[in-house]
Amino acid sequence: MSPSRGLNCLHVRLVRASSRSATRRYSTWTEAVANPQNKVQSYISRSRDPYLNLSLEHYLLQKSSPDSTILFLYTNRPCVVIGRNQNPWLEVNLALLQAAKDSPGKPTEPPALGSVDLVRRRSGGGTVFHDEGNVNWSVICPPATFTRDKHAEMVVRALRALGVDRSRVNERHDIVLDQGVRKGAVDEEDTHRTPYTSEASSHEPRPLKVSGSAYKLTRTRALHHGTCLLSSPNLNIIPDYLHSPAKPYIKARGVESVSSPVGNIGIEIEAFKRSVQEHYQKMYHPADANEHTSIVVGEEQLDVADIKKGYEELKVGLATMIIRAYLMQAQSLDWTFLQTPQFTFSSHPTEEDDRERPDLPVAARVYLKARFGAISESFVSWADSSSSAVDPSDRLRLDLQDQKLHEIHDWTAVVEKASGPQNARAGSALGAWLTRMFPRV
Amino acid sequence: MAARLSIARAVCQISSRHTCAAFRPVRAQWQQPFSRSFSYSIAARAKKYTEDHEWIELSSDGKTGTIGISTYAANALGDVVYVELPTSDLEVKAGDAIGAVESVKSASDIISPVSGKIIEGNSVLEEKPGTINKDPEGSGWIAKIEVADSGEMEGLMDEGVIRSLLRGWSR
Repeated sequence: MSPSRGLNCLHVRLVRASSRSATRRYSTWTEAVANPQNKVQSYISRSRDPYLNLSLEHYLLQKSSPDSTILFLYTNRPCVVIGRNQNPWLEVNLALLQAAKDSPGKPTEPPALGSVDLVRRRSGGGTVFHDEGNVNWSVICPPATFTRDKHAEMVVRALRALGVDRSRVNERHDIVLDQGVRKGAVDEEDTHRTPYTSEASSHEPRPLKVSGSAYKLTRTRALHHGTCLLSSPNLNIIPDYLHSPAKPYIKARGVESVSSPVGNIGIEIEAFKRSVQEHYQKMYHPADANEHTSIVVGEEQLDVADIKKGYEELKVGLATMIIRAYLMQAQSLDWTFLQTPQFTFSSHPTEEDDRERPDLPVAARVYLKARFGAISESFVSWADSSSSAVDPSDRLRLDLQDQKLHEIHDWTAVVEKASGPQNARAGSALGAWLTRMFPRV
Repeated sequence: MAARLSIARAVCQISSRHTCAAFRPVRAQWQQPFSRSFSYSIAARAKKYTEDHEWIELSSDGKTGTIGISTYAANALGDVVYVELPTSDLEVKAGDAIGAVESVKSASDIISPVSGKIIEGNSVLEEKPGTINKDPEGSGWIAKIEVADSGEMEGLMDEGVIRSLLRGWSR
């Protein structure tokens, strides 16, 4: 099949924002979501705000009729998105995110990416980087018909229709591009194998990951969303953002990311979106395969403007309020940081975490334990012996009990308060080091 | 008021325990006061299952229940890597999420089969979430609940029935 066949006859009818009055537009949207007759739905966001897009997606998950299946496409401005049960201090270089915020407009080191948001999503899985070269696709369906692979397979079919014949679904339910030479024909319908697939044990280059999957399952709905890297200009600097200096010292409950080599697919963004819509339509509405209707959503879903009396308007107002509540949650630092599963930070090997640690710039030991993002135990000691045990009498408790870790701004003051003026120089060096590990947010 | 309550519920569904706490007084006001039913039968004490593959087993006095997920669900979920447990004193209605488990990149809600007040979450799962896979209907229990109305048990299913039901716990 040639890459473009099928697309020419696909009419993407969009509900144009300008064609209707504001209130009417909202009611169209909320009605479309909740209407039980609306079995196959499709939305596309014009917003680049990751918090808003996740909130709109969550609204679709919570409020769509239970029998319906929904496609939602969106692209976010540069941001790092962590999984529901992950640790931002472990997964992300927070100081690098902060650097851009502190000096907006100035070039950052490494190269200027400007402000990069940190977002915690509600689905499971690991940390991903988004930018304008990435398209997020999301399918919400009844749990009874859900499998972990079926929508990744749909996206592979959409990619192959555009000529991306190295794309397949791998054993982690992600989409990868096989590398290396062609090995021979395989079943073209098999979305888990390509002519380039090699055995895992071979010396061929590893497949490049181009799309990562994550899921959320509620009582009545199943959500599968994935990234799709098409043309990100930032692949070379993504690792800097996803590398935390605190990682060697942290032992965390919850979910740690599995890093994979990533690549761009190198196809045009609009063509990809159309192809996904087309294959979604084929899968769920084959009788009407050439007529795909997608509703455009965005910031206007937050406007309560012009609420008049009447049932329709009340429903619209309610939907707006719910989305605003989701948005407040998504943007809140409490959700981003306090949802973190329990973890310890120890400068030296401990019984529960005996890894060798990189040296500290100062002869000191630090131990922190954080439960739901707040300090439950903390001490420093200046006795720097090579043995792993520290005499408990040498431990100086830090005055941090129950403090939210992301709100601690002055580590030097905290250390100096515990250790007294005789250790002022070492205290300030340790404070500076801890500030690098746990930067102000 | 209806709008406010809906949002409280909506936010509670997505929120961590911290933000949820803010809505608890609101929820307590509009929830039915607990009524103790003394009419529970021996049959109601047996282990019962929901369509969503949670199980609940009542204590011998019928006042408290232990909640977990079925062996079928535990197998379908794959390796559980993290469990979000409910905090004690959390008041829930039947069908509310009381926590979530993560496995294979999926966050799956755990649903309470009955209404009541959470007594405790199984702290063993904090350190060893895989206990859910090893012993889902024993030491891998998720929470204990003070049951508001043991009559709600009547609407649940026996083990034989649940085995014949398929649900998309992800395959």
